[in-house]
Amino acid sequence: MSNINGKVYAMNAITPMKPWKTWILRLIFFALGHIKPLQKDLIDLSFIEFARWVVVPRKGLPFLGNGQSHEDLKYDYLLFFSNFNGTWNQYIDAFSAVLSRGLNLVWRWSEKFPGSVPVTLFKEYIARVQFDTDYYYTAYPHATANDVKSAHIVQASLDDLSELAEKCNPQQFADAYFNFVLQVQTHLGETSDAPVAG
Amino acid sequence: MPNKNGNVYGLTILSPIIEDAKATPSHDLQIRNYLAKLSTREDSPFALAPGTHLARLVVMDDVIYVGAPSSEEHLKSKYLIFESNCDGDLDSYLSGLAATIPDHLDAIWKHCVGYPGAANRQAFIDYMKACQLETTFFFAAVNNKSVSETLRALQTQTAVADFIASHQGANPAKLKRDFIQFVSQLKSMPLPKPGSMGPHREIKTGGRNE
Repeated sequence: MSNINGKVYAMNAITPMKPWKTWILRLIFFALGHIKPLQKDLIDLSFIEFARWVVVPRKGLPFLGNGQSHEDLKYDYLLFFSNFNGTWNQYIDAFSAVLSRGLNLVWRWSEKFPGSVPVTLFKEYIARVQFDTDYYYTAYPHATANDVKSAHIVQASLDDLSELAEKCNPQQFADAYFNFVLQVQTHLGETSDAPVAG
Repeated sequence: MPNKNGNVYGLTILSPIIEDAKATPSHDLQIRNYLAKLSTREDSPFALAPGTHLARLVVMDDVIYVGAPSSEEHLKSKYLIFESNCDGDLDSYLSGLAATIPDHLDAIWKHCVGYPGAANRQAFIDYMKACQLETTFFFAAVNNKSVSETLRALQTQTAVADFIASHQGANPAKLKRDFIQFVSQLKSMPLPKPGSMGPHREIKTGGRNE
């Protein structure tokens, strides 16, 4: 069992919600999905590679027959899966500091949610509703979300310069190369093993 | 569609695990035991099969009771959660898994209710879809690149850093000649294996954190 692979942490959390409240939450997520500026804080928290929320209706868990018992639940459940870089404490701290309004909007419909500020109660709540990952795979364990974003910027700039290189004389190329270095210089951090906490 | 963000698909599958009081160890423990021994590196099943950025498998024993005044309740089945962030089309992805890693899939999902096996490709896809939950909101930091494009870009990033470092002050003619050769070599380099830790470099750049 490990929640960590390389530079990524896998978080799983499940919280109960009264069924009538899930419709409000669905509406909020609908707005979040369709009004891109609302995602700004989530994007600015640039250590999240992928994250998802899944509302599971109380009668919506997969039922396949073959001797499986029907679930008899009173609550709907909100599942949250996140893939982020850094430690659990850094993640929750940043979530609480940067996204507190957004988090409250998403989780206030869950039972006993204390609010994302103050952070101590918020952390206690997350620790209670979190469950551990049994198997965690990433195709690029040495890279963070920012590394991936930077790598694509470098690749795109290189492709442009490569196209130009065939067409221009050495001096024109040297000028273009200089601009290329300016473009990519902040995106060249080395990717390697994750740091080990001492 | 909330399951997709750009070109990335957010797959969420909950497969009910067989409840059998006579099974020793229980089916959920057998899954956990198998997963504990499974590689997470370049020989991971998800590295061998195409199209997985990040994936996790989790045995969910029960729902969580958050305390009074909420009501305490329990699941009647345990569920195997398969959460995958993968490239493109769901049918192609599931088909790729079934074609490439059928033994692993069978070893894990044979403990789940109604699992038909990966050999029957269409039955496998239908089963996975029957266990799928629709994602309500899916966020992807980079949503327009495939796994191989990202691995290629990470490889390029490292190589470009080295090229720039070794060509400081080079005259224009040499710079252009070496650059064209560098790009050509880069294109012919094999793609880094998914799940590997990338190239090991002896040179460290130094800095406050080292």
